[in-house]
Amino acid sequence: MNLLRKILHSRLFMVWGSTLVAIIICLAITLVLIAHSKRTRILDAPSKLPDTANPTDILPPPEQVNIFLLNPTSLEITPVQVELRLYSEPTERLKQIVSALVQETLPNYRNPIPRGTLLNEAYIDSQKTAYLDFSHHLADGHIGGTTAELLTVTAILKTVFDAFPNEIIHVQILIDGKEKKTLAGHLNLSQPLRF
Amino acid sequence: MWFPSFKSLSIFLFILILISVTHGIAHASTVRFVDGEGETLAEVEFKLHQEIVYLPVETLKTAFDPEMTHEYHRPRKQLILKTKGKELRLRMGNTTVNIDSGKQTFTLPAPPLAIEGQPMLPIHFFRKILEHLDDVEVLYNPNLQRIRIIPKTAWALDISDDTREWTIIIDPGHGGEGDLGCKSQNGLLEKDIVLAAAKEIKKLSEQHQLSIHLTRDQDTEKTLIQRVQTANREQGRLFLSLHCNASFSPNHKGMRLYINNPNGQPRFRTSEMPRFGKKRLNILNQANYLKQSKNFANVLQKELNFLAENPIVITEFPIITLSDISMPAVLLELGYLSNIDDAKRLSNPDHISELAVAIIRAIQIYSASVNQPSKSNGFSERKPSDTN
Ligand SMILES: [Zn+2]
Repeated sequence: MNLLRKILHSRLFMVWGSTLVAIIICLAITLVLIAHSKRTRILDAPSKLPDTANPTDILPPPEQVNIFLLNPTSLEITPVQVELRLYSEPTERLKQIVSALVQETLPNYRNPIPRGTLLNEAYIDSQKTAYLDFSHHLADGHIGGTTAELLTVTAILKTVFDAFPNEIIHVQILIDGKEKKTLAGHLNLSQPLRF
Repeated sequence: MWFPSFKSLSIFLFILILISVTHGIAHASTVRFVDGEGETLAEVEFKLHQEIVYLPVETLKTAFDPEMTHEYHRPRKQLILKTKGKELRLRMGNTTVNIDSGKQTFTLPAPPLAIEGQPMLPIHFFRKILEHLDDVEVLYNPNLQRIRIIPKTAWALDISDDTREWTIIIDPGHGGEGDLGCKSQNGLLEKDIVLAAAKEIKKLSEQHQLSIHLTRDQDTEKTLIQRVQTANREQGRLFLSLHCNASFSPNHKGMRLYINNPNGQPRFRTSEMPRFGKKRLNILNQANYLKQSKNFANVLQKELNFLAENPIVITEFPIITLSDISMPAVLLELGYLSNIDDAKRLSNPDHISELAVAIIRAIQIYSASVNQPSKSNGFSERKPSDTN
């Protein structure tokens, strides 16, 4: 009994034991990587079109657009290509793209927009400032923390500027129609933002 | 039958090498003692007993006092240490440290032990007792197994009478029932952690003759305006807002420093012309202190890096918490409550007190450097700098 205890506590056992565990982990990771590389990702269906938005009632053709989500491994806000049937009118298009961002749930990404958030309204003024009016969930349902707040705003800004490189220069975030100084107490949202 | 391709075999080998390397690093079983500049004083192999780090008695000689002598009476399990003109008596298995026949006694969280016949001291001895033997400050980073020993006199002398009278505003973020801040999976609240840290800084400041004022010393809700008013009323010369971070990824971890810059990333449409007439002045106020705020953030970064696993990043963007503060101001995120390791660290009072030591030291260094342009890190403080 004592001998067994000694062996278990010995440095040799620790080193070889942990090396063995490391090899098993390696094998498992390799198998997962191989299995993963064989799988191709099928994008979610494009979001539903509003019934009255298109006067001609003709479905626009599908387009590839980027929405920006958090890659939990690289910890960067990264573009993810999705296919949407987008209208040509900029305000309608903006609403569609931001709504797609708000609703997106891809398995390998984290959406930094709090769950339950809806885009109430969107508007682009003559100064090329986009006003995005979100439901109260964007602030009330926020997890807090400076990084999280920055991630939320970065995902919105990057998605908008990527889709409208010339048409929009600034974005003002509104909550239920009103200007709000901040989402969770750190980032200043009292003015339109850009990168 | 499945045969691994050359590609999958090479992936396997790569991961194997990677894990072996990281495995080797993770198992480096030494504690490194460093001085104020980060130079190694000694590197000593440690033993783990019930997850507590134990170091041989001789470590004191190599890392702390070359003149230290010790006697160990094996049958009586008694250890006598003579160092810095003091005599310390310890007994193996007993947590009491007796200095100069009872003039001072301390209780360690873990007792000294005889491991493989050799008397060994728990890490707490180095963290807590050395400061009572000599005029030194000891900082311990358990993540990297590093201990920094700095003579207190090395950094406390240069403070001018002018800066000695400074009031430093420490602002524990959030508070009350309406603003909890972020929270960890096991229910730790940002508002409680930052208040504990602020109180620890205040407590420690008294030993260093620093005047520190807290924007809240209880669990009460404070508006941004109230915090600004407190800072102005107390004629603060430096403002440090304490927060805990959160992310949508559990992998985000570590401390972060932020300064308010309307031209940061993301940035305001225009920093010169905010749309609300009265606000213009306020925003320019903090923008005018941008240079000093950066200097203060740099000093905090240098001091806190010792306690960090990875170098701390300083980020600039429009920060509401600091925008109306008319003095050098920095926001410090102490760690991520959304990360298990960070949350565990932040719930440990020892870690909070290590953070407080580093913050006090940063405040001292910054204050000492102001108005001393001849020094290499001298910062000019008297007048707010121009915007950018
Ligand atoms: Zn906070």
